[in-house]
Amino acid sequence: MEFRPDGSLLVQTALSMSRLSHEELSRDAVEIARLVRLTLGGDATAFEPIILRYETRVMTLAARLLGTRDDARDAAQEVFLRAFKYLHRLDLQKPVEPWLMRITVNVCRDAARTRQRRRDTLVDIETPETIDPSADPYAGVARKQERVILHRALDSLPEKERLAILLRDVEGLSTAEVASILQSSETTVRSQVSRGRLRLKAAIDRMTGGER
Amino acid sequence: MSCAFPKETLALHIEGDLTPAVAEITSSHLAACDECRHFVEQLCARQSLLKSLRLETVVSSDCTGMRRDVMALINERGAGAGWAWRIERAFVLGFQRHSYAMAAITLICLASAAVLAQIRNSPPETEASVPAFEGRDTLLRPEGYRDWMLMGGPARSPRTSVELVFINPTAYREYAKTGKFPEGTLMIWEAVRDTQQATAPHKQSSLLASVKDSSRFDGGWGFFDFTRLDGTVATKAKALPESSGCRTCHRQDAT
Repeated sequence: MEFRPDGSLLVQTALSMSRLSHEELSRDAVEIARLVRLTLGGDATAFEPIILRYETRVMTLAARLLGTRDDARDAAQEVFLRAFKYLHRLDLQKPVEPWLMRITVNVCRDAARTRQRRRDTLVDIETPETIDPSADPYAGVARKQERVILHRALDSLPEKERLAILLRDVEGLSTAEVASILQSSETTVRSQVSRGRLRLKAAIDRMTGGER
Repeated sequence: MSCAFPKETLALHIEGDLTPAVAEITSSHLAACDECRHFVEQLCARQSLLKSLRLETVVSSDCTGMRRDVMALINERGAGAGWAWRIERAFVLGFQRHSYAMAAITLICLASAAVLAQIRNSPPETEASVPAFEGRDTLLRPEGYRDWMLMGGPARSPRTSVELVFINPTAYREYAKTGKFPEGTLMIWEAVRDTQQATAPHKQSSLLASVKDSSRFDGGWGFFDFTRLDGTVATKAKALPESSGCRTCHRQDAT
């Protein structure tokens, strides 16, 4: 987990990013564009701040898609190597993040094809640390149990629906962004998200012994 | 659930994924339907649980290690890509706009494909397409003549005969340009047929050749029959004598 200097938790999600002001975003884009130009000009060290800027996002998404820390790390490494290789294809008029997300999804798809997915460890390695220690310890156990159920339910979804749900509901991307990353239409994504939410609810209901 | 209102629509409604018109209809329905309202509440609860996954993130030490590895690999081997990547990169950086570069690359690919197709469709130029002799007047049967230019055929006689005429590619190109057969012209006449039903004058033959070589043959042309008496094809043939009659028919047309 990452912490701000004041000790508060920093969770880098699309949601938190959307809270950045337009001014901050455009400053960010200008800086990224400068680093990209430097890298393309032959200064490979300029690529490191680009990695630094997006590594948490890429690795977290990879972890969600692949399920383990090791697989996520390997995938993230491949993502940034591909990004470096194809940096010249990046359109600087557009945001970098969706481009990296698309590479991440593709790398993870490739990895998932060659590896058996092992989804159950993310919960163990990353137990949310926002639990109040003074609170009822049983509540923490229950919460952890809930997450295990949730991960299993997500695993039970067809691959495309799982991907759409993870990007739309967990990553908090818009339907248009998800469609762009999955190189699909918005209508298709809406349909996958809708079916995925219903299936997820049904799966959780089944695991918890019915409607709650 | 007994209410027939589409559950897929409700699943989209909870996150505002519907168009304004459909969202309005859905809201109106929810205001009136307890069952659907209850279903939406359950969906929202699952959704909150799902969103709680946003709190799960990777540890920064993993990121640091990964970043270090990536930079080490980059410094060690660069992008490590082949010529296609280098060309693409040079184009993109040269054109500045990805779309322009892609258009240029596409054009080059199309042009290359056209040239390659042209080359592939050209008959092969091999040593076998040059007349090869044993001694002064024995012609060796050329290999692969069926890949040469097909000049005539398939001529089908009223019964079962198919007759084909091939010419070596170099000679054909020269003939196409000048209207004259150059020295070294080698033509093969081949027939697949029932010899009993064939028509004169080649009714006993299945593989004939004519070669233009003024240094060997009077009048420039030599004629050869590779067909053995049993109907099989020999690997070499001596030039047919004047008495065979070939020259009488062919020489007047040959230039």
